[in-house]
Amino acid sequence: MASPSPSERRLQKELSSLMKDPPPGVSVDANAVYQHLNLWNVHMKGADGTLYQGEDFQLQFRFSSKYPFDSPEVTFVGDNIPIHPHVYSNGHICLSILTDDWSPALSVQSVCLSIISMLSSCKEKASTLSIEKH
Amino acid sequence: MGNCLKGTSNEDISLLRENERSSEQQIEPIQPSSYRDRTPVFYPTPNDGRPANQLTEEEQVRIARRIGLMEHLPILAYDDSINKNKECVICMIEFKIGEEVRYLPCMHVYHVSCIDDWLMRSFTCPSCMEPVDAALLTSYDTN
Ligand SMILES: [Zn+2]
Ligand SMILES: [Zn+2]
Repeated sequence: MASPSPSERRLQKELSSLMKDPPPGVSVDANAVYQHLNLWNVHMKGADGTLYQGEDFQLQFRFSSKYPFDSPEVTFVGDNIPIHPHVYSNGHICLSILTDDWSPALSVQSVCLSIISMLSSCKEKASTLSIEKH
Repeated sequence: MGNCLKGTSNEDISLLRENERSSEQQIEPIQPSSYRDRTPVFYPTPNDGRPANQLTEEEQVRIARRIGLMEHLPILAYDDSINKNKECVICMIEFKIGEEVRYLPCMHVYHVSCIDDWLMRSFTCPSCMEPVDAALLTSYDTN
């Protein structure tokens, strides 16, 4: 077995800390991640008391071999894409920490927390950024 | 391991230093053919990585200047009684006592290879986002 690259080693650490101490409503299928360490599917529940209460979402994290120097590519996938001013109907998330404000001190955990707070602070479900594909 | 393709950062740095020294003169365009086998990638801005032979003269000067500034960032042995960070947030590995770490002006510390890779992309502290460039210049002014 080749020894893990720094990026793989960090992803393994992040996986175990996410499983040990997940942000509220967040879970990850660890077995699937162990097969493809660079592609994570993260489940996220809409927080109670917010517009998304009772909804289930799926996030996909894609990591390049230069993670954490490269930001992860994070999109909503699956049937239920949240209707939110900063989420495109194709699942793309408009969040600066995923592009210009990325720092290697951020993690899957902190990205999940930012997305939870982005959803939770939403006052009105409107999709101003949506690209209609129907 | 012997046959592994190694990172070429040391050679890249010396290449850039040559450019820095000769920045008064005309910089010869780097011949693409000699770099076909190894195309080191530089980041004039964080999301814009390009091989060295596709950088403009201005970008080469900026990167050379950045490497020059990085040399002023002290490297010291990690001491758990004075450092509040227990692990390097870039690789998430705990520091060992006596291990060489690089200090940023904000006093955040990282493994040298971890932070140098990041500083080549963005001259900011990953932990507090303080721009290293401005902070360095301020500390020169006050000294
Ligand atoms: Zn490190
Ligand atoms: Zn800092």
